[in-house]
Amino acid sequence: MTKGDKILLAALTCLTLLSAALLYGRFFLPKESTRARQAVVSVRGEVVRRIDLPSSGKSSFQVQGRVGPSMVEVDGARVSMREAPCAGGICVKQGWIEHPGQSIACVPGEILVRIEGAALLDAVTR
Amino acid sequence: MREQSTRKMVYLSMLIAMGTALHVVEGMIPIPLPIPGVKLGLANMVTLLALYLYGFRDGLTVALLRVFLASLVSGTFLSPGFLLAITGAVGSTAVMALLLKHTRCFSMIGTSMAGALGHNLGQLFAASLLLQSSAVIYYLPILLFSGTATGFFTGYLLNSLLQQKSALPGEWYR
Repeated sequence: MTKGDKILLAALTCLTLLSAALLYGRFFLPKESTRARQAVVSVRGEVVRRIDLPSSGKSSFQVQGRVGPSMVEVDGARVSMREAPCAGGICVKQGWIEHPGQSIACVPGEILVRIEGAALLDAVTR
Repeated sequence: MREQSTRKMVYLSMLIAMGTALHVVEGMIPIPLPIPGVKLGLANMVTLLALYLYGFRDGLTVALLRVFLASLVSGTFLSPGFLLAITGAVGSTAVMALLLKHTRCFSMIGTSMAGALGHNLGQLFAASLLLQSSAVIYYLPILLFSGTATGFFTGYLLNSLLQQKSALPGEWYR
């Protein structure tokens, strides 16, 4: 194997990887920024508010739950429960959600924050 | 008609026969990959040997006749696969002949890998014409990978053959 062979082998390997990355790369990257999503806030099963995501900048609003007002915060593409009147505060501790299908539930207040939209694939079988 | 010795004609005929046999046999070898179109390229070794011994013209003759005969044997004459084999053979022969004639830095391994590249590009070009679609470009990385691997392998075999001086004794094949 000559030096030229080695250089050619390296070049072809690079070319293979490069073309694979260029051609197949976009099948593996989730295009989240282009997905239409909505954060849906409901109290006792009734939808009280829908927010298109991603929203511009930070905002927060109050939701009147069964045990008192909770504060929902929206920051760009993600949503969290910032304040809750309940004792446990599990919803607050859950932090941010952003993917379709994720949700924050406040059981005492009967508040549910869900993100709706085309879900990413969980699995593919064939 | 060009003058050529009977010996040379016999040797070329043998190369064509070997190429045909390899082409047909390698079509019967199952490749444990989930994608069609990947093959070992054993018949390309014969083309490269003909190019090495006799140059572009005879190498191309061997390649084309080999594809033609093999398609008759396997019953694929004038099928899409046959057209792809023709363009692939022409592509690889052209690339390998260029490298053999104008460069000195490649052994048979490099020449064979480049030939596999030419084969794949020729095939993809013909496939895109046949299918009227540029989507076949998604085959490129797979073909590049398999072509480089099999080209390395067949080039290595040919290197080993050429190192055996007794395999090609003197002027016997001229």
